[in-house]
Amino acid sequence: MARPDAAGPDIVSRSLASNRLGVPSVVFFGVAGAAPLTVILGAVTTIYAVIGSTAVPLSYVVAAAILSMFTVGFVAMSRHIVNSGAFYSYISHGLGRIPGVSAAFVALPAYSMMQIGLFGLFGVVASNLFQTAGYHVSWFACALVGWALVSVLGLLWVDLSGRVLAVLLVCEITLVLIYDGVMIAHPAGGSVGYGMLNPANMLSPQAAAMLVVAITGFVGFEATVVLSEEARDPKRTIARATHWAVIIPGLLCGTSAWAMAVAAGQANIVPEAKAQKTNLVFTLVAPHVPTILLHIGYALFLTSVFAALLAFHAAVARYQFALGREGILPLAWGRTQPRTGAPLLGSLTQSVLALAVLAAYSRTHADPLVYLFAWLTVIGGLGVLILMWSASAAVVAFFARNRGRENAWRAWIAPGAAFLLLTGVLAATVVGLGDMLQVAPHSPFRWLIPPAYAAVAVLGLCWGAITRVRRPQVYAAIGRGAGGNVTPPPIPWQRREPQPEPRLEPQPEPHSEPISARGFWG
Amino acid sequence: MLADQFFLIAHEDRNGRSRLHSRATSLGLAAGLMGELILLGRVRIFDGELSVVSRDPPGDPLAHNVLDLLIAQPQHRDVRVWLAYLAQEASEKVGERLLRAGAVETVVRRRLMSSQTLYMPMNADQRNAAAWARVRLANLLVRQGELDIEDRMLAGLMFATGLTRYVLWDLPVHRPGLEYLHIVVNSLPADLRELIEHTQTSVGSVLSAGRR
Repeated sequence: MARPDAAGPDIVSRSLASNRLGVPSVVFFGVAGAAPLTVILGAVTTIYAVIGSTAVPLSYVVAAAILSMFTVGFVAMSRHIVNSGAFYSYISHGLGRIPGVSAAFVALPAYSMMQIGLFGLFGVVASNLFQTAGYHVSWFACALVGWALVSVLGLLWVDLSGRVLAVLLVCEITLVLIYDGVMIAHPAGGSVGYGMLNPANMLSPQAAAMLVVAITGFVGFEATVVLSEEARDPKRTIARATHWAVIIPGLLCGTSAWAMAVAAGQANIVPEAKAQKTNLVFTLVAPHVPTILLHIGYALFLTSVFAALLAFHAAVARYQFALGREGILPLAWGRTQPRTGAPLLGSLTQSVLALAVLAAYSRTHADPLVYLFAWLTVIGGLGVLILMWSASAAVVAFFARNRGRENAWRAWIAPGAAFLLLTGVLAATVVGLGDMLQVAPHSPFRWLIPPAYAAVAVLGLCWGAITRVRRPQVYAAIGRGAGGNVTPPPIPWQRREPQPEPRLEPQPEPHSEPISARGFWG
Repeated sequence: MLADQFFLIAHEDRNGRSRLHSRATSLGLAAGLMGELILLGRVRIFDGELSVVSRDPPGDPLAHNVLDLLIAQPQHRDVRVWLAYLAQEASEKVGERLLRAGAVETVVRRRLMSSQTLYMPMNADQRNAAAWARVRLANLLVRQGELDIEDRMLAGLMFATGLTRYVLWDLPVHRPGLEYLHIVVNSLPADLRELIEHTQTSVGSVLSAGRR
């Protein structure tokens, strides 16, 4: 609370700010999950190959635009609620606690699948690297080594955060820019074509559905709000950093996708991508750059996928930790390794799941790039899209209930537009998912995924309703972080005994008053 | 005093290492310092804001120091801002106070690039006293007797920072203590309960951000 009678220098703010994160650190944190090199070399080439559409470059730019729109309201709302860590807490504040639980149920499998899918990419990339060195190592063996590393680092809660990540990212971005320059400087057929950038390309229904794949390339940007209490100026730092975390990958991926098509030729890009897969960019630039740059590229590609794996692993574990702390998942998930703060059970759960899925894929001999990486990330991406869509609705609902807290642009116009746009993308995705997964016309996978998410969501609604009736104390704290319930969580073996009066006043439902209107500094 | 007891419980008596994530320990110590001022009747908390109700200097130099700071910076009233601020130096400040009281000694641990000053019990008496802090709290909770307000607050901070499993570590024996903890925390006055609540939230957000 800035009071006018402040005398002398502001010791507290100054001292706190010196220890806090500026915009660049927060951007690095946000872009870590969406490691640009992983997206460009892994996702973009796979989209070209699997979907066979040439609207890829534009889809990234359009996705970035939609997400920027979404970010405006999302960040604005993050200032008015506590526990602004995850989508479900926005949804529980905006739409009510029961939908919040439902969102959490959707989020768990969605983020989990995206991480597991990345193991497929990691395995293939590492296996290719060994092949160029003359050894034959199966993708499964490589993925297992990656899995073991991620599991151990996850348990130790070693984030590749801070400097290591920053250096890796700067190297990645520099490399991508060099490659892009080389590809655009050596166009197929001698002239640079701009045909792919024609906005009319985006009007096909297939292109709209492709946006979901593009959006998966940004996942992680929403994690920046976790750092709002670690940021120098929570109001401005987080807002700016989140916008950057959307714009940088958007431009980078869009440009690179276009540069690939320029270098391969617009007509050739799809067959080339099908033949070369993740090597596409390397084969395109190979004739024009020194070999050392290619080796660096391969190495960075691997580290980039690994960083993304680790970031997603941490995100999944953190999600389960948050839910465990609030009592939506069993309390055991809310425990941390005390000294490091690592959410142990969340980390273990994700590792075990990943191992099971990897083993299943290894047994069935399915192509890891298509069926593991592309499928799971797209299916997981759909879940994240559902979350974003509900979060954008939650933002609109929240500001409808709390008028006058933000200006019209942040409270109404941008969130409303984002909601409409995301509704369109979601509808197109649900319709076009079967085509994107390239499944046979009669395969159940054509229609199975959206109903599966719906089922999970309904399950969440039921669990939310049960919580409301059976554990009102837990229910009151949903989406509020663990600080909401000061009383120790009820001890399971003691539940039959009369509980002391709950300290929390039952909040009106839907909660009309803001939870914490106070800014961090005031 | 409150923060001293918390310090002794939160660090291993053998090697002086923090039992919790270092930031969680610091937040617990900061809450301990704030709690001391509340117990001394100098400060109150209402609705997430601190207010100084008495400017009488407390006898303890560290408490005096903190109170002075609260008076000097009237523009900051948010409890969580103060927790974050006090947490920055709480370990050193409380460690020094324990050093003056003769409860610990300083040990400088050299690392590759830096050195770290630890405040740890060195001789047998100091070790016994440090280990006793933990056992005493466990006994009080298990016996379910009357606890004075400072011990009740200590139990609350133990719960909020995640130390419970170190204090009440032996489940069959300590189970009554876990049950009683619930009642103990609820019996605290509103200010202190609110302080515990803010500590718990701060610890949670620090842990989920995962920074050192």
